Amino acid sequence: MKITRMHGAGGKVMQELIKDVILKNLEITSVNGGIGLESLDDSATIPLGDKEIVFTVDGHTVKPIFFPGGDIGRLAVSGTVNDLAVMGAKPLALSLSLIIPEGFKLEDLERIIKSINETSKEAEVAIITGDTKVSDGVDDIIISTSGIGIVDRGKAIRDCNVQEGDAIIVSGNIGEHGLSILLSREGFDFDVNIKSDVAPINKLIEKVLEEGIQINAMKDPTRGGLADALNEMAEKSNIGITIFEDKIPISDEVQSICDILGLDPLTIANEGKVVMAVKKEDAERCLEILREHPLGKNAEIIGYATKEHKGVIMETIVGRRIVDMPIGDPIPRVC
Amino acid sequence: MKIKIKVKGIVQGVGFRPFVYRIAKKNNLKGYVKNMGNYVEIYLDGKKEDIDNFIKDLKNKKPPLSRIDSLEIIECNDIINFNDFYIIESENSNFEEEGTIPADVSICEECLKELFDKNDRRYRYPFIACTNCGPRFTIVEKLPYDRENTSMRDFPLCEGCLKEYKNPLDRRFHAQATCCPICGPKVFLSDGKNIIAEKDDAIKEAVKLLEEGNILAIKGIGGTHLCCKVSEDEPVLNLRKRLNRPTQPFAVMSKIEYINLFAEVDETEKEVLLSPSRPIVVLRKNQNYDKYFSEYVSNLDTIGVMLPYSGLHYLLFDKEIAYVMTSANLPGLPMVKDNDEILEKLDGIADYFLLHNRRIVNRCDDSVIKKVANRFVFLRRSRGYAPEPIEVNVNNDKNILCVGPELNSTACIVKRNKFYLTQYIGNTSKYETFCYLKDAIDNILKLTNTKKIDVIVCDLHPQYNSTKLAEELSEKFGVEIFRVQHHFAHAYSLLGDNNYFDDAVILSLDGVGYGLDGNIWGGEILLFKDGKLKRVGHLEEQYQLGGDLATKYPLRMLLSILYKAIGDEAFNFIKRYNFFSEKELNILKFQLEKKINCPLTTSTGRVLDAVSSLLGVCFVKTYDGEPSIRLEPIANKFKGNIEVEPKIKNNILNTTELIYNAYEMFIYGDSLSKIAHYAHIYIADGLFNIVKKIADKYGIETIGITGGVSYNKIITERILNNANKENLNFIYHKRVPNGDGGISFGQGIGYIINEP
Ligand SMILES: [Fe+3]
Ligand SMILES: [Mg+2]
Ligand SMILES: [Zn+2]
Ligand SMILES: [Zn+2]
Repeated sequence: MKITRMHGAGGKVMQELIKDVILKNLEITSVNGGIGLESLDDSATIPLGDKEIVFTVDGHTVKPIFFPGGDIGRLAVSGTVNDLAVMGAKPLALSLSLIIPEGFKLEDLERIIKSINETSKEAEVAIITGDTKVSDGVDDIIISTSGIGIVDRGKAIRDCNVQEGDAIIVSGNIGEHGLSILLSREGFDFDVNIKSDVAPINKLIEKVLEEGIQINAMKDPTRGGLADALNEMAEKSNIGITIFEDKIPISDEVQSICDILGLDPLTIANEGKVVMAVKKEDAERCLEILREHPLGKNAEIIGYATKEHKGVIMETIVGRRIVDMPIGDPIPRVC
Repeated sequence: MKIKIKVKGIVQGVGFRPFVYRIAKKNNLKGYVKNMGNYVEIYLDGKKEDIDNFIKDLKNKKPPLSRIDSLEIIECNDIINFNDFYIIESENSNFEEEGTIPADVSICEECLKELFDKNDRRYRYPFIACTNCGPRFTIVEKLPYDRENTSMRDFPLCEGCLKEYKNPLDRRFHAQATCCPICGPKVFLSDGKNIIAEKDDAIKEAVKLLEEGNILAIKGIGGTHLCCKVSEDEPVLNLRKRLNRPTQPFAVMSKIEYINLFAEVDETEKEVLLSPSRPIVVLRKNQNYDKYFSEYVSNLDTIGVMLPYSGLHYLLFDKEIAYVMTSANLPGLPMVKDNDEILEKLDGIADYFLLHNRRIVNRCDDSVIKKVANRFVFLRRSRGYAPEPIEVNVNNDKNILCVGPELNSTACIVKRNKFYLTQYIGNTSKYETFCYLKDAIDNILKLTNTKKIDVIVCDLHPQYNSTKLAEELSEKFGVEIFRVQHHFAHAYSLLGDNNYFDDAVILSLDGVGYGLDGNIWGGEILLFKDGKLKRVGHLEEQYQLGGDLATKYPLRMLLSILYKAIGDEAFNFIKRYNFFSEKELNILKFQLEKKINCPLTTSTGRVLDAVSSLLGVCFVKTYDGEPSIRLEPIANKFKGNIEVEPKIKNNILNTTELIYNAYEMFIYGDSLSKIAHYAHIYIADGLFNIVKKIADKYGIETIGITGGVSYNKIITERILNNANKENLNFIYHKRVPNGDGGISFGQGIGYIINEP
C-alpha cells in the first residue's frame, strides 16, 4: 500500500496510519511519567520539579504559501504556539527549520520571515534556534517549528478529560482557514470575503485561565475541523457530546459557499480557534471573557457533554444527526 | 406404542397445539403436546395405525398459518402413562436452536363476522382476535410466545375469556392475544389535552371527525398512522404541510369492494391484498380515480392501497371509501408508537388522537408490494412478514449478523440456512433511526435465541453509521468484520432470493453505493462465475457536482453531464430553469472546472435524475428516488416505438450521449413523454447489450436485475423482454426487497459464498 493524500487529511485514515505504522514501531515514548506520544494530545510534557515542560512540533506545507488572511510563516508560528496553548501552557520559545526548494524567490523568503517575526511578537514567543536546508527534492517550502512552553505540574489541560455536563465552547467562526486555502489554491476570484483565521491564540487562552475558569479539556480544531476535534475529545474522554446546529458560529460567507460546494463547514480546518469543555457553572463567564478579546468575539456555547450517548450528535431542525469523524474528502451517501 | 415427535417451523401462536389436541383425540391417542419455545413436542401413546393417521392429519390438516419445517420422530420407551391427551404449559428451557415468532396476522373471517354481529359479546370490539388472527411479532417481548411474554400480560383474562382460552376445542384456545370488552385493551379519543370520548364512542366520534376533514393519529396494532379522508384537498394538503412531505405519495386504506372504483386490480393483486399479511399493494389508478381522490394524494399514475387489517380499522369505515393511512413519523425518523410520544411528537400534526392502552412492543411499518414483470416484489418487507425467516439452499453453520446499508435499512441474522430479516428500519443517518437499528438487532437476536455471533457483515462505505455499529459490535462480541460491497450485496441477494448459485450476469442498478475503487457505483454489470463475483461493466463515470447535493438537486447532475457534452453552453442552457442565481452558476462552474467535491459516479439513479430535471419534472428531491420515480409515469404515457442506438465502449455505457440526445430532443421540441421513454429504453437496451455480450462470451444463459432501479417497470420489463427474445433465463426478486431493504440479506449470502 502507498501513502495517499487521504492519509494526510486528518480524520480516520490518518489516525489509522499513526496508530498502525508509527506508534506501533516506537518503544520509548514518554519521559518521567509525563504526557507522551501515545496520548496523541496536542503536545507532550516533561515533569521537572513543580513544573512541566510542554513540548510540540509541527511541520507546515501549504498551497498557496500566501493566502488571504495569512501565509505559511504566520501559520508555522501560530500552529505550534496554539498546540502549546491548548495544553494550558505558557509558550516560551520556538525553533525554526526551513527546507527551501531550489529556485525559491528570495523576496518571498524574506516576506515569510518577516511574517514569522510579526506573529512571534504578537504571541510574545521567541524564536531561539533554527536550521536551514536547500533541497531539490521538495516542490515548495516546508517550515517545521518546535515549541516549548511551561505549565504548573499536573495542571496541563488534556483533550481526554471532558466531564459530564461540561459546556462545549468554540472561540469563534469556523471553517475560515480551510475554505480560504481551498479557494485561493484553485484561483477563486469572486467577490467574497473569506480570510484565513490563522492567529496565535495563547493570549486569549491565558486570559480565560487567569480568571480562574475551570477548563476540563481543550483542543485546537485544525485539520478535520470541529467535527474531528469534538469526536476526538468525546472518544478519548469516553463521553458523548451534543451540539446545536444553530449555535455553531459561522460567517454567512463561509456558510453560503459551503452550501453551494456541498462541503460541511464542521469538517473544514481552522488555525486560530479553540474548543473548550468548561465546567457548566463557569461557562457563561468564560464566554464573556472570550468575547472581550478580538479573537474570541464570536465565541459561542455550542453544546454540552453527556453520558446519554457516545460520539457527537448534532440537533438540527430536521432531527438529530450523527457527526462523523471526517475521513478526508466527503463521500456521497444519499440515495 | 409410544413415540415423541419434535415439530419445527411456525408452530407457535397459530393454533397449532389445539389442532394437535383435536387430531389426537380424534385418533384415540393419549399423551401431551408441549410448547418448547422453538419447537413443539408431542408425546403419543396408542395403536400404531392411530399414530400413523395422526401423522397424516398433522401434515395435511395443519392450521392455515402454521408451517412445518421438520418432523422428527423418536421412538421411546418411557413408562409414563397418560389417561387422556393434554396440552402442557410452555417450558422455559434454554433453547439452543432457533425459534420463530410469527408475523402479525390480519383479522380472520370468523372474527370479522363476530365484530359486526350485534349478538356477539365482542360486537364492535376493536381488539378482537383468535388463534387464527391478530398481532404476534408486534406484541411479543421474548420467547416463548406466551401471553405473559407479550404486552397482553397487562390484561388478565376475564372469566369468559379464560374459559375460551382453556378450552382446547375453542377457536380462542391459547390465543395469546384474545380479549374482550371486559378484560381487554380500550380505545380512547384525545384532542391532545383531554380524553374526549372512550370505547365505542371514541371510534364513532373519530369517524365523524375524519368525515369532517380532520387529521387523526390512529394507534393501531403494530404502529401508528396519520389518517384523513382522500376526497378533499384540504385535509390532504394540511397533512402534507404539517409533515413536510410535499410530494411523496400517500398510501390509502380501502375496502376490497371499493377498490375497483378507483384502481385497476387483477385477480393476483386481489389475492395479495387479501392475504393475511395485508400489505400495501401499488395499483394503477383507473380513469375514475379523480372522481374520488384529491389530486394531492398521489402525483404518480399509481396508488398504494391496503385493506383494513384489524377490527379497529374495519370500524373506521362508514361513509368514506378510502382514507389516507400513512406511517406516523417525521421524515427519516422511526414511526411513533407510545402514547406519550404520539401526543408529543404529533402535536400540531394531528388534530385528534385515537389511542389505546395496549403497548406496542415492536413497531412494524406496513409492507409495500408492487407487481413488476408479472411478479410481486417487495418495496418494503415489514408488517405481516417480519421476522419470519427466508430459507436459502446454502450450507452454513455460523451465526452471521448483517447490519445492512444506511437507507431503507433492515438488519439480518443468519442461522444455518435461515435468514431472519428485521422489520423495516429506515434512514440510519438519523440518530433516532440508528438507535432503532440497534434495538431491532438486539430484538431479533433475542427472538431467535441467539447468544453467540460468529461474524458481523457490513457495507464497504467507511462512513455509514451501520459500518460504525458493526465495528462496535465486533468489539463487543470479539468477532471479525466482513465487508461486502453494496452492489455485490444486491447481486448476492438476487442469487439467494432465487436459490440460484450458478453462473449469471447481473445488473445491479441503484442510486448510490461505495465502490471497490473508491468511487460511487450504481450502474454495475456483475459477472458471477465459478462462485466469484466480478465487476465487468458499468455506466460511464460522471461527476457528481457537489457530492450529495447533486442527489438533492438533480439539475446539478444535468449540468455536470451536459457540460461534458457541450461545454460552457450548458451553463447558458441551465439558466432557463431559473433555479440557480448568477452567483451560484459562477461558483458551480468554478467547482466543475476545478473538480472540488465532484466525486465520480456510475449511478443509474443520477442519470435518470438528470433527465427528470431536464424535462422539468423534478428539481428538488424530497424522498428517495423521487426524480426518477416521477419520470416513469411520464415515460409511460408514450405509445409507440423509438429507435435507440446506445453507445458502448469497453462494456461501458455512454451516458453523456444519452443526456446529449435527450437535450437535443428537448430543444427540438419532442414531447416530454417521448424523451422520458427514450431515456429508459437507452438505459435498458444499452445495459442489456453489454450483458448479452458478456453472457455470450462466457456461455452463460442466465441474467438478472436487482437494486432500487429494478423497481422501474419500463426498464425491468424491457430487459425481461430482451432476455426472452434472446432465450436467456431471467432472475428477479420475489422474497427479498430489490432495493436496500434486501442488502442485509445479500450481505449474509455474500459472506457464505466468500467465507474466508
Ligand atoms: Fe442500493
Ligand atoms: Mg494540534
Ligand atoms: Zn380471528
Ligand atoms: Zn374478556
